[in-house]
Amino acid sequence: MKMKLNVDMEVVVQERLRVRPLVIVLLALMGIAFVIAMIRFVNGIGAVSNLSSSYPWGLWISFDLFTGVAISSGGFLMAGTVYILQLKQFKPLLRPSVLTAFLGYIMVVVALLVDLGHPERILYMMIHWNHTSVLLEIGICVMTYLAVLAIEFAPVVFEGLKWQKFAHFIHRFIMPFVILGVVLSTLHQSSLGSLLLIQPAKLYPLWWTPILPVLFFISALSIGLAMIILESSLSARYFRRGLESHLLEKLARAIPVVLAVYILVKFSQLVISGDTKYLFTSGMMSILFWAEIIIGAVVPMILFSIKRIRSNANGLLAGAVILLAGMILNRFNVSWLAVKHPDPLTYMPTFMSNVHYIPSLPEVLVSVGIFSFGILAFGLAARYLPVFENEQHETHSASGD
Amino acid sequence: MTDIKHKAFLFDATRCIDCRACMVACSVENQIPMNKTRIWVAGIGLKGEFPNLTHASMVYHCMHCNEPDCLSACPVGAYSKRPDGPVEYDPSKCIGCRYCMNACPFGVPHFDYDKGLIPGAFIDKCNLCPQRIDFGQGPACVATCPTEALAYGERADLVKEAHARIQAHPDRYVDHVYGEFENGGTSYLILSHVPFQELGLPDLPEKPIKDVSEEVMGFTIPFALGWGAVITAVAAGVAIYNKQAETREKQAETTAEDAEEPK
Repeated sequence: MKMKLNVDMEVVVQERLRVRPLVIVLLALMGIAFVIAMIRFVNGIGAVSNLSSSYPWGLWISFDLFTGVAISSGGFLMAGTVYILQLKQFKPLLRPSVLTAFLGYIMVVVALLVDLGHPERILYMMIHWNHTSVLLEIGICVMTYLAVLAIEFAPVVFEGLKWQKFAHFIHRFIMPFVILGVVLSTLHQSSLGSLLLIQPAKLYPLWWTPILPVLFFISALSIGLAMIILESSLSARYFRRGLESHLLEKLARAIPVVLAVYILVKFSQLVISGDTKYLFTSGMMSILFWAEIIIGAVVPMILFSIKRIRSNANGLLAGAVILLAGMILNRFNVSWLAVKHPDPLTYMPTFMSNVHYIPSLPEVLVSVGIFSFGILAFGLAARYLPVFENEQHETHSASGD
Repeated sequence: MTDIKHKAFLFDATRCIDCRACMVACSVENQIPMNKTRIWVAGIGLKGEFPNLTHASMVYHCMHCNEPDCLSACPVGAYSKRPDGPVEYDPSKCIGCRYCMNACPFGVPHFDYDKGLIPGAFIDKCNLCPQRIDFGQGPACVATCPTEALAYGERADLVKEAHARIQAHPDRYVDHVYGEFENGGTSYLILSHVPFQELGLPDLPEKPIKDVSEEVMGFTIPFALGWGAVITAVAAGVAIYNKQAETREKQAETTAEDAEEPK
């Protein structure tokens, strides 16, 4: 009896030792972010950030909101694939995708609570409606979709707690929520692009177009697919479990199609609006534009078209990372790098003067801390909840069919 | 806009002597702290070569657009447009998202970056001195201007006045009243002797900026309902198809079994 206990304890200790350094680093980063957030709540946003009257939105919006929402699009993609199209073979990817989306949206809301001037009033968006505001639509969609994701993820928590009855209960009524989730996601993934439509005088013409919402939605699809590949690959490596390479290969097959549509729409828009003249003549803006198109769309489109790369674990991971880097650059461009604001207070004779915004270190640390929370929460959920669990018998039954 | 009694400002850059009395008068009247201002005056310095020098200064404040982009952008409706002109801001609704600052093409709304949660950080902008204009007085900046560079009155009258000044001295003015049509018309009209771009004013179309995003927003509800219906139909269709396929398979199995059994 005593012996057995000792053996058990040893196993536990060993397992903990393996993860401890990363967990400590993540917790430390979260702690730093928490302290900075407290300073911000007491002394104001200016005390920790480089945001100004000319640059009211900075890293917290570009990274935490624009990128955070985009990388969470895998959740509605997989929910739609498994529940609506009933492609049951993709079921092993469903739970990790929904978890990523759920955590992603929690991170978005946490970051917004730091960024908003009056975080305690965030629910005013549910009371005072100004129906012409794109931001209102995004606010309502994000908050509602967070609730939908909680419902979609709840069965995993209940199964983890061995409350099978609750899990089955939710499962029986999941369809309306899945449909609602897909509609809400389509709406706010695209309206993040609409958010910039009010800035034709500020956003560079290579990016500003009335079809920004369409471009945002198409690119969000590719980002979602790449994110599923990334998170499956990384968790397979970290938790030393099998990689669903045959499924990821199928997902990766869709990416070149999505990206081809994206490139086609983007360049047709440039030709129709007559903005092609900016393509090579705008210095830094041209470089940023081609960087996002080549890294985010052209290179991954070529990579994922090659079967040898698609069916190789490293190839999949590399392709996904490249796509994400380019598409995140796109989100940074439209919300920060290609936006020029007038600054009347430190006024310079030419409008759209050379006022710059570079995020401060505390600003970066807040984003890093929130991201660390996401990674830690994903790790804990993957360890203690049946996020990846049903994969074994699922694949067995799939092969049995 | 052909509103009756729609009030407006007229700023004449040729008359401005860069004394900044308007800034002081505004801050005193509206009790603006020392490190903030609702008006800002900027000189563009001397231009040209002696003896043909030009000098200009510009008084910026809220343009009180007839089609305000801040109002369109604000998610909680903290902005409102009074029928007589002023664009007003209500801090009690503001959530501090700063989208209005992004939306305003003139960079007018400012935010309290130095205030925490307890004092509360808000947007600040010109509200056209309601405490004065509601009692028949002009706004503080106009009342204090020593050279009548700033004027206040009915918009229609001021537009006429502006064109009259240009016609009286065509050599002195650029032949354009900025704000008459820009961004759907503003309630801050500007006359200048130097190109408006040099004064730092954006080149804006007559169609209000907010129109594009409002048109796109108009699709939201129809699109949501249509897309929801499509997805529901697809989900139902796939479910029915799969069930039929299942039963067909079962039937095929049973018939196969039946066929096999007699042997």
